[in-house]
Amino acid sequence: MNWAITGTGAVASIGRDTDEVFDALCAGRSGRALLRGFDSRAYRAAHAYEIDDRPADGADVPARATAWLLRAVAEALRDAGLDEDLSGTPVIVGTGLRELRSVELKWCESADFDLGGLHFGTALRERFGATWTYTISNACSASLHALAMGSDLLTAGTAEAVVVAGVDTITASMFGLLDRVQLDPPDRVRPFDQNRRGTLMGDGAAAVVLTREDHPAARLARGRLRAASMNCDASHPTAPDPAGIAQAIRLAHEQAGIKADDVDLVLLHGTGTALNDEAEATALCDVFGSGIGLPLMTAVKSMTGHTSGGSGLLGLIVAVRALAAGRVPPTIALDTPAGVAGRFRFATGATPPEEPERLRIAQVDAFGFGGVNAVAIVEGVAA
Amino acid sequence: MTSASDAVVTASDAVVTGVGLALPGARHTADLLRTTREPAEPVDPGTLIGRRGLRYKDRATQLALCAAQDVLRSSGLLPADGEGGLTVPGDSVGVAVSSNLGNLDTVCEVASAIAAETTSRISPMALPNASSNVIASSVAMQHGLRGPNLMFCNGPTSGLDAVYWAAALVSAGRCDRVVVIGVETANAVVEGLLGEPAERLLDGAVALVVESGPAARARGARPMAALGPYTRRGSVRAVVERVLPGGRPAPAIWFTSQEQPPALATPGFPDAPRHDPTGVFGRADGALGVLQCAAAVGRFGTHPSGTALITTGDDTDDAVAGLLLHSAREERP
Repeated sequence: MNWAITGTGAVASIGRDTDEVFDALCAGRSGRALLRGFDSRAYRAAHAYEIDDRPADGADVPARATAWLLRAVAEALRDAGLDEDLSGTPVIVGTGLRELRSVELKWCESADFDLGGLHFGTALRERFGATWTYTISNACSASLHALAMGSDLLTAGTAEAVVVAGVDTITASMFGLLDRVQLDPPDRVRPFDQNRRGTLMGDGAAAVVLTREDHPAARLARGRLRAASMNCDASHPTAPDPAGIAQAIRLAHEQAGIKADDVDLVLLHGTGTALNDEAEATALCDVFGSGIGLPLMTAVKSMTGHTSGGSGLLGLIVAVRALAAGRVPPTIALDTPAGVAGRFRFATGATPPEEPERLRIAQVDAFGFGGVNAVAIVEGVAA
Repeated sequence: MTSASDAVVTASDAVVTGVGLALPGARHTADLLRTTREPAEPVDPGTLIGRRGLRYKDRATQLALCAAQDVLRSSGLLPADGEGGLTVPGDSVGVAVSSNLGNLDTVCEVASAIAAETTSRISPMALPNASSNVIASSVAMQHGLRGPNLMFCNGPTSGLDAVYWAAALVSAGRCDRVVVIGVETANAVVEGLLGEPAERLLDGAVALVVESGPAARARGARPMAALGPYTRRGSVRAVVERVLPGGRPAPAIWFTSQEQPPALATPGFPDAPRHDPTGVFGRADGALGVLQCAAAVGRFGTHPSGTALITTGDDTDDAVAGLLLHSAREERP
């Protein structure tokens, strides 16, 4: 597989477009703040990584996730040099929580929200004339599942270009249930740190335009997609399985025609929960073997929070930028790596001068509730 | 965007090799063609598949598990006598579930409980159900299905989209077969949000196995139908033009979900008898496309030739999806 990534768009707590997000990440800037969207008295956790664009304090409105999605898609199209007419182009959106925050507002506060907006096709048609649209709800790896689906449409010759996106906004139900199960809730996300206490959610959206090589937009490619794997652990409702994750990574390497040693950079899923980080670290050690210390690794959820279904594609965009710019965002709040992650070579500060030369191929991890795994391999293009 | 894509897609050589039902008052696919509603008891998952493992699962997941077991047996992927596990490797089986409303009860009940008090009042056991993919992953877990696992929440067309993507996964070589399930349920939250009484809402699940023709032949499975072209476009007319160019092949039946389908002999639309299973089973939302496909298989059971045109959604929705199903007899060699 070798598809051109011709445009990217991103929105998160730390920035309103890809440039802002990437620059903030490289500067080690976090979007963490006191909880603003919900009544903090109802929750033990006091922090989140929100995009706080609500009209007024304490006044939430429906369809904020939809607005971020449209913004990210528009940016990706602009970046690819394409117009906004998507009437003949597939758009696949991966999301963990759809517009469920709007449903909560409708149910709890009688907010005005039509259930036709629960999936994103309605807004994508209004804004871009798109009718060939899919919303898939695949937990925290949704957007990389969407990426795999989009790449299959190109492979089958069904489409010459596809838009793949991911988006999530924090819901009271998910934030609250995580609050309920994390008895000593974290005050920040500290992926792979010995003293990590769990995860906190973040808002965000990401979008890419993916085209075949002979598409006019491919001339200005920002990077290339070499593989997108997906599988399912079929083992536990919420706990990830290292064997399933390792299999997803191997499938991606196989599809890309590479070996683990060829990977120069890993964008970790790294949620800051003991369950995820241990399973991911074990799986990586299994696949990379004695070469586990070679690739540079980073976990950007330390700055964006857990942006759920959109996080995989956000990681992919960061990977593509990092390969092109020769700069890798650090993992912040990481003092002492826990367990086998002690063998990882984490990006912690500025990227050393000899590093950019080596950065050619990146692996992007995304794993979700229900054991749904997806892993992407991207190749950089010279900036 | 400049794009020459023509949005008609055919997943080559994908066939339906099983149908599973968990519907009130329907045991066989022929029952899906009934036109009159008869009183029926709600589906009781505990009776169908045993109570073990159902605790803490929301009703949509329970219904899906019933349909999944039924379809795995009917397709021969599980032994019909219930003894023993999968007859094929687990990683050769994907899952594609469609549901728009399945977990809205958990989401809204948890959100209101927090609004009324604090998170200490909510049950941690609700956590998996707050994630909309709980249905698809629960089916995978129950039967060890380790292939791609996709949860479609794509509005009115979602069920038919899931059927198409099952075929696309198989065509792409990501797995050999996919368990497709459409499920919706009636509860106070869904009734309140939709403003519809429970008796007008589907409370059930329908499943298919969509499989590559060669994989089905290799294990001696009998195809019940073959998938033809599919599209997703802005109107019923545009969909029909695309999947039936020039009106050919003339379908034997048209499963349509339009409130007022065009009268017979309207130019541009097939002159076939129309059938809408929601009249009997209730508003089916994300389950509809799968229910229609299962009904088409039922029709092929009694009329073993011809094709079925299936459209979901109408011109007021964000899009309409269309799919042509061929009877197994007309399957391309």
